[in-house]
Amino acid sequence: MLAQKGNRTTPKALALGLLAGLFGMQCAMAGDTSGTMRVGDMQYGNGLDLRGWTPMLHPADPDGMSWLHPGMLRTPTGVLYPYPPRVDAGKPLGSGDWTYSGLLEFGYLHVGGERNAEYFRQYDDWKSGAVLGLFALDFHNHRTGQYVELRGSRLSGDDQFYRLLAGRYGSYRVEGFYRDMPHTVSTNAYPIWNGVGSTDLTLPAPLVAGASTPAQVAAASAAAPRRSIGLTRTRAGLGYEGVLYRDWIGSASITNEKRSGTRLWGGSMFFNFPFPDNGGVLETVRPIDFRTTDVNLSLRNVGKVWHFLATYNGSFFRNHKDHLNFESPFALYNVAGTPQVADIKDGQFSLEPDNDYHNVRLDLSRELKWNGQFSVSGAWGTMRQNDALLAPTTCTGVGGIFIAPPVDYTFQCANWNTTDALSRKNANARIDTGLIDARVTFHPTPAFGWHAGLRWYREDDKTRYLAYNPLTGQYGYISENGSQGSVVPGETGIFDPNNPLYRSYMVTVRNNPFGYTDTLFELGGDWQFGRKSSLGVTYTFDHNWPKYRERRRVDDQRIKFDWVSRGVFGGATVRLSWEYAKRDGDRYNYDPYVQFFSESLPGFVEPVNGIAAHTVADMRKYDLSDRTESKARAIITYPWGESATLSATFYGNRDQYDALIGRQNTRTTGATLQWDWQPTPATTVNAYLGAESSRLGIANVNDADGPDNGKALGTPGQTDPNLGGPLYPFANQWWELDRESNRNGGFSLSHDFGRVRADLRYDYNGSFGHVGYSYATIGALANRVPAAVAAAATGFPDNKYRTNTLDLGLNFAVNRSVGVRVFGRYQTGAFSDWHYAGFDNTLSYDHRLYTDKGGQLHYSVSLVGVMLNLKL
Amino acid sequence: MRAISLFPAVVLCAALSAGAMLLGARDVQAQQAGGSAAPDPHAAPAGGLSQSDIARMLPATDMGAGAARAGNTHQASMSDSPATPFDAASIPANPLAPNADAIGAKSCVACHAQENVQASHTLHVASFRAGAANTGPQAACESCHGPGSGHAKDPTAPGLIIAFTHDAKTSPQVQAGVCLSCHAGGARQHWIGSIHQNRGLSCTDCHNPMARLSPEGVLAKSSINEVCATCHQDIRAKFNRRSHMPLPEGQMACTDCHNPHGSITRPLLKTDTVNETCYTCHAEKRGPFLFEHAPVRQNCLNCHDVHGSNQQTLLVAPIPMLCQQCHTMTRHPNDLQSAANLGTGPFPDERLMGRGCLSCHANIHGSNNPSGPKFHK
Repeated sequence: MLAQKGNRTTPKALALGLLAGLFGMQCAMAGDTSGTMRVGDMQYGNGLDLRGWTPMLHPADPDGMSWLHPGMLRTPTGVLYPYPPRVDAGKPLGSGDWTYSGLLEFGYLHVGGERNAEYFRQYDDWKSGAVLGLFALDFHNHRTGQYVELRGSRLSGDDQFYRLLAGRYGSYRVEGFYRDMPHTVSTNAYPIWNGVGSTDLTLPAPLVAGASTPAQVAAASAAAPRRSIGLTRTRAGLGYEGVLYRDWIGSASITNEKRSGTRLWGGSMFFNFPFPDNGGVLETVRPIDFRTTDVNLSLRNVGKVWHFLATYNGSFFRNHKDHLNFESPFALYNVAGTPQVADIKDGQFSLEPDNDYHNVRLDLSRELKWNGQFSVSGAWGTMRQNDALLAPTTCTGVGGIFIAPPVDYTFQCANWNTTDALSRKNANARIDTGLIDARVTFHPTPAFGWHAGLRWYREDDKTRYLAYNPLTGQYGYISENGSQGSVVPGETGIFDPNNPLYRSYMVTVRNNPFGYTDTLFELGGDWQFGRKSSLGVTYTFDHNWPKYRERRRVDDQRIKFDWVSRGVFGGATVRLSWEYAKRDGDRYNYDPYVQFFSESLPGFVEPVNGIAAHTVADMRKYDLSDRTESKARAIITYPWGESATLSATFYGNRDQYDALIGRQNTRTTGATLQWDWQPTPATTVNAYLGAESSRLGIANVNDADGPDNGKALGTPGQTDPNLGGPLYPFANQWWELDRESNRNGGFSLSHDFGRVRADLRYDYNGSFGHVGYSYATIGALANRVPAAVAAAATGFPDNKYRTNTLDLGLNFAVNRSVGVRVFGRYQTGAFSDWHYAGFDNTLSYDHRLYTDKGGQLHYSVSLVGVMLNLKL
Repeated sequence: MRAISLFPAVVLCAALSAGAMLLGARDVQAQQAGGSAAPDPHAAPAGGLSQSDIARMLPATDMGAGAARAGNTHQASMSDSPATPFDAASIPANPLAPNADAIGAKSCVACHAQENVQASHTLHVASFRAGAANTGPQAACESCHGPGSGHAKDPTAPGLIIAFTHDAKTSPQVQAGVCLSCHAGGARQHWIGSIHQNRGLSCTDCHNPMARLSPEGVLAKSSINEVCATCHQDIRAKFNRRSHMPLPEGQMACTDCHNPHGSITRPLLKTDTVNETCYTCHAEKRGPFLFEHAPVRQNCLNCHDVHGSNQQTLLVAPIPMLCQQCHTMTRHPNDLQSAANLGTGPFPDERLMGRGCLSCHANIHGSNNPSGPKFHK
């Protein structure tokens, strides 16, 4: 048979040939599935039953787990195992070796109060009506090890799952499933457009695209009906895993996912803030109509000495709605004050392109002497898309601004609203990835071990695109569908070396194919002190070469200490870790993007006052800046008596960024405390507390773009990128600090009185956030008139998110096969976020129109249900 | 700091490989025993009872103690009937009881009757049962707990049986070795050297094969998420924040993204990178796009806290602050937005209200539009 443990590669196996000899012989566990190698679909449950099989956990076996000792044993760390449910031996199925057991729970659910509260139904489709709590039917053949298991639950057509598992222990397994998962994004949305959910948003009468007043828009918004925005994921899959030949195990699965619904989106028709009664900023609604098909294949051989694993993952994404067109109600005016010749009233987005993904990976491990192992993994992946590109604009007629001959900033839409205006018709985008990961581990003595690893990963973006219009000979694009260039002269997005009006404009002319190569080396050792304590030390050197970024080299060195001790304080397990990291790199180039802008093209003429500094030279992007980091964590598990466990976590992170401008520091400190008590199989009690505070500090500097804060923009001083220079004066510096405080706590009690089991649970979550700011002078502020300065002094109001949830359940056992469950939930919530301040009064602000009012400021909601529980 | 280029990296990798091969070329298996002496089945027990005494005192077994298995503790299949690969499962050596011998499940069950009731209805032990149905005598209990004669002789002496619970004399390494003797490879191929192994976790910290506490995976608690939250309580709490993925609603598990048995990434991700894990469910973000956004392509975690956030869409900071960490460019990005610019303020500003920056730069994950370098389109 397969198992030959205790022998090395046997002569018989050697005789099987080189391949079998290479991989040795070991029991192949095909029933031991590859589930934890596949992303997704590891959990099937819903708001009614988070575990997806809770009714089958009861009643607990009054005899516990053993006659030989009271209570339950503990995990090696010291956590009590729960009391197991009473065994259901099943009923015979016919005269053979098959038995079956099952459970059917169904009933009625009533939802009261604010049933559409956004955070109550974020991922639950609660509805009043009949529900299927759980359908479970298991068939087992205890002689052959064959089994068939069915599970299902249904809250609604958008919140349900059904799953079939079948197979034979250690031989093969087949899986099939279907599930719907809801995701509510907003229940407080008031879109004004017709066609929500489609690719074309049109304005309702009496609104007219490009010709409606803010008052008309406000009235339409006020009259818009409340809608919910969200989507449903519908997933179905089939999978097989089994022994193919001797020790070779293969798996294959295919999953198809359809996502349908809507999400909140944007709509840009140029700024409104600097131009009252002009521009247009719209919160629109986009369609979600995605289909993703995933294919996963694997082949593995697990020998005594060699472990081999080959996997292929393919993913094929299809977006059935590749664009969003929207009508903007607002009229645009050019700031030059000349008659408006452009009629820009529509906007357009490209939505995500179809894409294909392939990843092939080989993992090979070999057991070594000194309790060692060597592993090497190699992977190659590619993600590609070649969608047809949309035209640069959808406008018709003329766009831009005509001032006076020869100052003509207009453009003919016909030259840009066609794909003939593109340098190529398809995206032809591709990113390839490569990975090599090698590790070696030795544990020559029980008291000492060491390991080393080397990982190399590259992401190579092969996409190259030149924004060139062969119809006009111009470079660039049409910004915001033509609106920007129809408000501000020349800001069309075009560079034209042959036109004096456009030959000095800095516009993007090439895509930036970001990528990186990362090499990570790790060396570590661990020492065992006595039987119960160990120390580990690991040094890591992470060397990163970003492409087309501010740094060409970023090095991150890290040292980490781990201490594990068992038997502390009379049996507690303590796990401590502390790590310190320091990141630096080569010279920071604040502007590495010249080659992607028109300034890199022949014919570019530098403006009279020079090119304005791309950004302030002292800014450091936080993924590339020098940084010191320290992290500490302690996890303590204390067995408290025979029937309780006390566990606690203490943790903290500190990050300090070497940046005058940009992210400066982050800090997190937190603790949790939990008490679990299970004095008898009939009673379980749990209580927990948690607290965490965090902060994030940034610094920035307003450029001197106005007469009241320096006015360097548009002068020769605009070329100076330095902090403290004319464009970025110290006086315009500002700082922002985001602080958060999170508290959570709760308790649960479950007691079985015999014919009745009662469950009680309470949970509290409270989060409070405050964004504070300070500034050197009012030159930092977006608005510097007295009224704005006074209002700024009040600061942002606090944000909060708070829920209280009380659950109560009573389970009555009518007889051994029939039970009744009555349960209720009462939840209150409070929410505030200054992003939505004022939205309860209006969603319309001059040429800005919003759709989502945000979550409900306060809500209370109740659930009451009664379920009949039938044991099959 | 000196750079490591690809070539030296490959050379070092190759050197590691070659060294590992050479080191492993010799007697691997002997070393796998951790240096412990091979049990001598003929050795006399240290106590006063002989193997025959034990055999006489214990209930009749289905395996026979002592000499019956002295030469080979692995019974071969006794028929060609369908059976599982659990047939004749191996019996691990117990370093703390090197002279113990297998005694068979009947002997174990004589005392551990309740354990037998529960364990027999788990997938794990039912597998052994199924194997035993066709192939005769089986070790069953001892396939995991090691040979039991020493324990049977002195049941209260710790260490004479391979134990998997708190205060067990058996080390976590030996415990894991028992499990990996069958469960090696596949999803556990990178267990050695993983963070969970390094932190001294044993398989039975997360699994309990002796009772059916979970629908699958013989977990130590009733769901994957409860198991993970045993230690990662702070992460569980984050999932209750305003925006989160649907773990608290029972729709997802930690293991949807993480492989707790080890992987080639430090956070135990199932794929090669963070982004590839995210793309599995958010395939539309994969692109590639005509115009990419550097932090997005580099790492989703630059902007999102995937375990939960009090901002919209799992963001790590409120907009526009999130964006203004990097966007200090001239003109509109670097103004300090204040309370004056709220919807209730005297100067409402689209850069602060609602979706903030994303109201215009909606395609922030990348744009496939020829006019989309600023993600407006």
